[in-house]
Amino acid sequence: MTFNIHGGYLEAIVRGHRAGLLTAADYNNLCQCETLDDIKMHLSATEYGPYLQNEPSPLHTTTIVEKCTLKLVDEYKHMLCQATEPLSTFLEYITYGHMIDNVVLIVTGTLHERDVQELLEKCHPLGMFDSIATLAVAQNMRELYRLVLVDTPLAPYFSECITSEDLDDMNIEIMRNTLYKAYLEDFYKFCQKLGGATAEIMSDLLAFEADRRAVNITINSIGTELTRDDRRKLYSSFGLLYPYGHEELAVCEDIDQVRSAMEKYPPYQSIFAKISYGESQMLDKAFYEEEVKRLCLAFEQQFHYAVFFAYMRLREQEIRNLMWISECVAQNQKSRVHDSVVFIF
Amino acid sequence: MEESIQTIDNGGGEEGEIATLRFLDSLDAYVSLLNSLSSTLRQGWLELASARHSMGSSRISSALFDLKVQSASTTCQVTDSSDGSPSDSPHFTLSKWVSSREGKCSGEELTQLQKESSGSKLRRRGAPNSSDGVDDANSAINDSHSTVGNIIQKERSKSLSVFGALVPPKLRAAQGSFETALDIIVELANMRASMLSSYSQVQQEMAEIGDSS
Repeated sequence: MTFNIHGGYLEAIVRGHRAGLLTAADYNNLCQCETLDDIKMHLSATEYGPYLQNEPSPLHTTTIVEKCTLKLVDEYKHMLCQATEPLSTFLEYITYGHMIDNVVLIVTGTLHERDVQELLEKCHPLGMFDSIATLAVAQNMRELYRLVLVDTPLAPYFSECITSEDLDDMNIEIMRNTLYKAYLEDFYKFCQKLGGATAEIMSDLLAFEADRRAVNITINSIGTELTRDDRRKLYSSFGLLYPYGHEELAVCEDIDQVRSAMEKYPPYQSIFAKISYGESQMLDKAFYEEEVKRLCLAFEQQFHYAVFFAYMRLREQEIRNLMWISECVAQNQKSRVHDSVVFIF
Repeated sequence: MEESIQTIDNGGGEEGEIATLRFLDSLDAYVSLLNSLSSTLRQGWLELASARHSMGSSRISSALFDLKVQSASTTCQVTDSSDGSPSDSPHFTLSKWVSSREGKCSGEELTQLQKESSGSKLRRRGAPNSSDGVDDANSAINDSHSTVGNIIQKERSKSLSVFGALVPPKLRAAQGSFETALDIIVELANMRASMLSSYSQVQQEMAEIGDSS
């Protein structure tokens, strides 16, 4: 009843932003473009117009993605500076995933003797923090934590992966997934504490995210050096698949075994029904479509914070769509454009 | 070139015709390989874009390439003809995934294992009834074949590990496409060398016919 006192303005703002998402007509026009300049021309009539208008030709697909992301970052920062507790903490939680990705990017790039400035340019703007450049001096996870991350919001997530082992590709990957697991579990508990519609809707969305990550970790680790035990440790401790689905996924050796494990759960039966046996190329699109369906449903209720999470994720999906359309146009492969575009409305 | 072919048609000369046919065959094969290379590269680039769409632009970018000094995983040897005759042409050989790791199988040993495993397949076809001795030989051959497969798989994973240890199947598919494209490029180089050699022979034949007439 008192939601509107502190959250009413921002909920109205985010619902206004949601109305600005690209429609099916916009996507139809974009899919028919012949060049990236045509895409820029079509986007000039949308909310992305001001961000792309000053970009010189010839355009590159990464430029389109960068500018569209800048728009999302501006909207997020506006909402964050207007928010009060606990909404401000909720909004910050949304960016921790990007923060983890940026940390891993800097550490991996440093391991490969890349220039820090070059790596900083590739970081996601939503995941930036003040001491991020200092990550380049760390040799192992203990130093990573002690020198830099102890003063960041990611500090509590490091307790499970602090070792003195030197950083290598496998350790970094395990670190990434362990951090993300801890972040998802922490976000889940935070939403449960908020209670009400926020807890109800965010539980569903975060459980889906945890389950999708479990499937992706399983598929990506098939044929690698990651042991079954290590794989099991990377699964989150919540979600529809927890704990029995995780036990089955941990021992899967191919995509068909993953399918057998997942088809026991009705929400994922429909996802795996869309892909043929032995094939995993369209699985990402099937998961994105299910995610978009759930995110759109979040807007059907009022007076909860899940609309902010849903809006951010829908915008990120839109940016992925624009990225894919741009790549197909740039590579002159427009017949493949519908392989990965997920319509939001 | 067209005048040369007309001269041969008018003047006869079986050797000239054979040389011309060889040249046209190699030209046809060269054009086919070019088309094949183009479609393989298109597929590879789209698969790479698909992997970037799945993992995110920051996880697949040139900023993550490893700049540390390391041995090449794939090498190309060029063998020139020693006598310098126009009919001989350079030959290109690709050796894939031959970088040695921590003193394990070297490039020469891996290439030898690859030859033995491919050669062993031919021997196995001719021996349907196996005795104990042949069984032992076959199991040794299987072991060497699986060793080669394991080494190659590890090298493939190592080269992809710059993008992370757990990469999606789309990125592995892109790697496969670009690996195939590399094979086609080497085949193209050999075909081009053969084509130029055939053309030299055609020119030689025409010159001889011109001298005799």
